[in-house]
Amino acid sequence: MILLSYGTAIIIFAIGLYTLLFRRNLFKVVIALALMEGGVLLLITSLGYIPHGVPALLPLMGQQAVNPLPQSFTLTAIVIGASDIALALAYIIKIYRHYGTVDVDQIRGLRG
Amino acid sequence: MNPVFAVLLPLVTAFLIPLGFIFFRKALPALVFFGASLSSLGGFFVALLGWSGISVVMGGWTPELGIALQVDALSASFLVLTSLGFPLALLSSAEWLGWNSWRFYVIFFLSWASTNGILVAGDIFNLFVFFEVFSVSAYLLVSFPASSWQAVEASFKYLVFGTLGALFLLLGISYTFMATEQLNMGILKDLFPAIPPPTLAVIGGCLLGGLLVKCGTVPAHFWLPDAHSSARPPISALLSGVLVKAPLYALLRLGMLFFLPALPKFFPLLLFFGTLSLGVGHLMAIQQEQIKRMLAYSTVAQIGTILLGIACASSLGITASLYHVFTHMSSKMGLFLVAGIFLEDRQVHKISDMRGFLRHRPFLVAAFALFAASLAGIPPLSGFQSKWLLLLACAEKGYLVPAIFLLGGTVISAAYYLKALGAFCSPAETPPPHHRTHRVTQGAVAFLVAFSLVLALLPWLPFTKEFLLTLSSGRFFP
Repeated sequence: MILLSYGTAIIIFAIGLYTLLFRRNLFKVVIALALMEGGVLLLITSLGYIPHGVPALLPLMGQQAVNPLPQSFTLTAIVIGASDIALALAYIIKIYRHYGTVDVDQIRGLRG
Repeated sequence: MNPVFAVLLPLVTAFLIPLGFIFFRKALPALVFFGASLSSLGGFFVALLGWSGISVVMGGWTPELGIALQVDALSASFLVLTSLGFPLALLSSAEWLGWNSWRFYVIFFLSWASTNGILVAGDIFNLFVFFEVFSVSAYLLVSFPASSWQAVEASFKYLVFGTLGALFLLLGISYTFMATEQLNMGILKDLFPAIPPPTLAVIGGCLLGGLLVKCGTVPAHFWLPDAHSSARPPISALLSGVLVKAPLYALLRLGMLFFLPALPKFFPLLLFFGTLSLGVGHLMAIQQEQIKRMLAYSTVAQIGTILLGIACASSLGITASLYHVFTHMSSKMGLFLVAGIFLEDRQVHKISDMRGFLRHRPFLVAAFALFAASLAGIPPLSGFQSKWLLLLACAEKGYLVPAIFLLGGTVISAAYYLKALGAFCSPAETPPPHHRTHRVTQGAVAFLVAFSLVLALLPWLPFTKEFLLTLSSGRFFP
């Protein structure tokens, strides 16, 4: 079960990487970054799982909780990723206002 | 002194600047300069006291859970670099940008705080968090003010590459956590050799890939020339002189701590990418028509040079790298500041049009010549000495091809700096339309000239040579 989660995470990451490398639309580039981030975060969250663990909320009632440390990392990383993506979208708006396109090939400085 | 002050002082200043702008607009320059001097002094103090090693855990947690901060000789020397480089860039940008753009100062101090944070972070997740604050503030610095389309595009490109690098870094960190359940660097150091080799190779690949993208080494260097050349001159100086050193510090730290004992294959890869960057950077620099792009490609080459020393993984190699980090900081900051003044005087971008500066600004041309000579490696200057140490380190390890690239790079860089100097010294039909005197920036250039001369004297003094070599003699984590 947990292997399925790891596998999904890496497949999402790979889809993101493929999109980033081979798509020429700026929005798709940002979606790719968001997908890659989602993949890594899914991986981190799955790391803390232990079989039959309950969510790490007090009181635990004598049950075994999952490791809360990766979840706190995920929260931090989500905030970071959100700021990255917000900034990227703001730049796309600026670029679109100037060039009237979001195609990488038609924007002078973004080729290569 | 707790190393957290190196992060806290610039961070508090960054938060106070908007308040200062709203309530005491007249006092904003005083607040900025006061904050900058405190942050700089704090950085120096932490560096001085942390020389023999401090490590603390914040908030009363155990080292496994809490936020660990550590300073040792390696981070202390990089702290000296930031405590010198940031105030110089701040003084110069106050002159270029004025006091109406308070947002710039907020971003600037955030960038300062996060760079210091990278240097004092004692666990790898905090390293990642500080890297992201560092990167976001760097993207914003590149596109400030957001009126230039070129800068916005460059910043977007930087963002895409930077986020890609950060995600690989995060992937590497999560694999490390998966393998060891630990994030504290001091604890991980002992756990790394026990990780099975295939896992270790994946972790090493992710961390190396992420950090190399963030440094701007060759296969992923496309963002660097755009970002460094389209920012405003003092910001270009800051980006090329100081900010680019933070990922290099992380490579040095993680490489020496984790991969030297556990995964020796890490270093030949580093050597390959370093040599590639060195060659391609110099070859691209000589083809550039615009002066700032030429300087930016030269930065790519110098990053490769610094990577060579790290890849040697010997005490001599690391010393040479650290020394070259300082050489490159002083020279490249100076080159970007002088080039910025020249560009503003002439309002042209091509090197061949930038004529007649020898009559007009003789001291700045002389300073440019000195910095260029130092970076190209003309004998008494510090660039020559660091390259000599690097050559010795390469020879010690038997790395012949990188050594040849290093020598070839010296010739090529001399050629492109001479091209620029030749244009500056050739007579012009019309004198440049003089815009501003730039007293403060000229003062910063004079300071950098003095600093490079002091750096050049350093290895000649009898005690400092020993001192330079002890910097790296395995004193990581006391």
